[in-house]
Amino acid sequence: MVVNVSNLSPRLRQLGLVAVLFGAIPAGLALMGGGYPFQVGITALIFVTLAVSLNLVTGTAGLLSLGHAGFFGVGAYAAALAATKLHWPFLLTLPLAGIVAAALGVIVALPTMRLISIYFAVATLGVGEMIHVSLLNWVSFTRGPMGIRSIPPIEILGLDLSGVIGGYYVAATVAALAIFAVHRLTHSYYGNALRSLREDDQCSAAMGLNPVRLKIEAFAVSCAIAGMAGAVYAHTASFISPDSFRFEESILILAMIVVGGLGSLPGAVIGAVLLIVLPEVLRGIGDFRMIAVGVFMFLSILFLPKGLLGEASAIGLARRQLGAAWRGDIGAGWK
Amino acid sequence: MRPEFKILKGFAFAAAALACGLSAKPAAAADPLLLGYQMPLSGDRSQYGEMFRNAAEIKLKAFNAAGGVDGTPVQIVYEDSKNDPKEAIAIAQKFSDNPRILGVLGDFSSTVAMAAGEVYAKSGVAQLSQTASHPDYTKVSKWQFRNITTQAYEGPFTSKWMRESGAKTVAIIAIQNDWGISAAEEFAKAFAAQGGKVTATEYFNPGTRDFRSILTKIGRAKPDAIYLCMFYEEGASALQQAKQLNVKSAMFSTSSLYSPKLIELGGDSVNGLRMASTFVPENPAPEVQTFVSEYKAAYNDAPNMFAAQAYDAVGIMLDALKAVGPKATRAQLRDALAKTNNYPGVTGKTSFDPETREPAKELAKMEVKGGKFVVLP
Repeated sequence: MVVNVSNLSPRLRQLGLVAVLFGAIPAGLALMGGGYPFQVGITALIFVTLAVSLNLVTGTAGLLSLGHAGFFGVGAYAAALAATKLHWPFLLTLPLAGIVAAALGVIVALPTMRLISIYFAVATLGVGEMIHVSLLNWVSFTRGPMGIRSIPPIEILGLDLSGVIGGYYVAATVAALAIFAVHRLTHSYYGNALRSLREDDQCSAAMGLNPVRLKIEAFAVSCAIAGMAGAVYAHTASFISPDSFRFEESILILAMIVVGGLGSLPGAVIGAVLLIVLPEVLRGIGDFRMIAVGVFMFLSILFLPKGLLGEASAIGLARRQLGAAWRGDIGAGWK
Repeated sequence: MRPEFKILKGFAFAAAALACGLSAKPAAAADPLLLGYQMPLSGDRSQYGEMFRNAAEIKLKAFNAAGGVDGTPVQIVYEDSKNDPKEAIAIAQKFSDNPRILGVLGDFSSTVAMAAGEVYAKSGVAQLSQTASHPDYTKVSKWQFRNITTQAYEGPFTSKWMRESGAKTVAIIAIQNDWGISAAEEFAKAFAAQGGKVTATEYFNPGTRDFRSILTKIGRAKPDAIYLCMFYEEGASALQQAKQLNVKSAMFSTSSLYSPKLIELGGDSVNGLRMASTFVPENPAPEVQTFVSEYKAAYNDAPNMFAAQAYDAVGIMLDALKAVGPKATRAQLRDALAKTNNYPGVTGKTSFDPETREPAKELAKMEVKGGKFVVLP
């Protein structure tokens, strides 16, 4: 039933995807020439990481979060402040950003996880705004609207990764790790537990799951990944200010996973790449480019309401092709 | 549809999009010299980008009509940053990649200009922003320039004018935000240094329309002058209420109060208000009148301060380009920019400090007389 790659084992297919990310894509970008394709690639990979992390919470666990850019910002500021004030290297600021964002995520999650659907969405909307306003007005700590500049570029164990190509590989590594982590989480019994929460949390509680705990865990993992994306952004951009972490960014990340397919991991990747790359490749049409992007989003939702790659087919793909939890020949369902 | 095909479809879509983008790249025409201009042309700040582009086109057309750089015409490549730092970084890379782009103008807001500035600092392209007033903007690297003066420049200017007009004591009313605080502090510092005395500094929250309590409070010390650091909406209310309360102090303000709306809202009570200004369409100077009439003819709209800033930024860049000739390199253009001295623009004569790259301008003195802004000689 599989077309070409049917003779390869899931492990080899996974390696193939890694080879594309680290070999074929950068080679293609290099052929286009210059730093611009790589810069777009870095931004796309940062947003792939963000979309993948939001997909765990919003797609799989069904908690509509409208404050994801806030946690992205917390990670970026944690990394930027640690790097500029304490002179920490990227290898330390990256986990720090994840830990700080996750800790804040848990603090936010404790009171809000008992909320469902639109009430949770509005609560996260409020949290996102609180984070943005704090970054803007806590001038003594964050420098407020002045932003943080001269964030040192990435250097790992003496290896200078300050250029766009180095930045691409760092962003690709973080994105690959995020995808792998979320892939293992969502395509497992754990992921099924999250999905059962999304469908009916009372029923899953009756089956012996602890919904509040599961939601907090998923939210913390998601925030940690978003925070690490923030660290990559801070170190590759060298200058950050609160206007990179506004509500619009949360909506952009949400749009990515909806266009790609809610609950679908490959969909989140495709959605993020499309919504970052499309506005850049459409620069040629000038004033109409954002309208074209809007039309694209509108049509994709109109004709593919489940996303470019819907959840059901994405899970089938992950199981059959990438060796997640169950394979097609075993059949989906309880093992 | 099988999931594999759906994925393929997705990739095909992306590939097609990429292919479109590649073919959309402008074909390399050999002749004109190129400058980049990044600005918000979509999104909620697009009205500013629109003005910048309009003003830049007028200046560029006139420059090329007058012979360009030793006969070589100049062309400006416009890119839309949406006032979004991540797009601005991508544009900065794009401009830096193009070896034919010798210098760059923009972006609109300081933080976006600084995010792009980090890229220009690495790639070595001179960046001249018409509006970035962030104190750290020119500290990003030696490649950053701006032609807008900050309150650090305007405050001492107005303070000196006030002292010359005989004021010994002054009270300051300022809006409570980063701009208002720095405007009030820069002015107070200068006024004290010039031998005057600041009797009170009062801040109000943005959105305040009732200044009676503040005016009564500062009025007790009977200051010779009152300095208003705010915008026209608040300024009109403050000036009306000062008149109602019969405050006799001379009124001065920051240039931000300049707007025809101030007179519309404030009526009689704004007469006598004095402020420094960079650009006033009513200024009778010939270069200003040429700009205003050309802008009106082309776009059926009067230019404001933002259009004027862009007009001068483009002019300064083109002058620097002309000074180094058609074979210029990016580094030569930067050095020529740093030498900008008394550029006669519509916002006054602009000079750059070769070391700090901060602009100095001859500001005009302006007073509201008989319901009109009048430039004082």
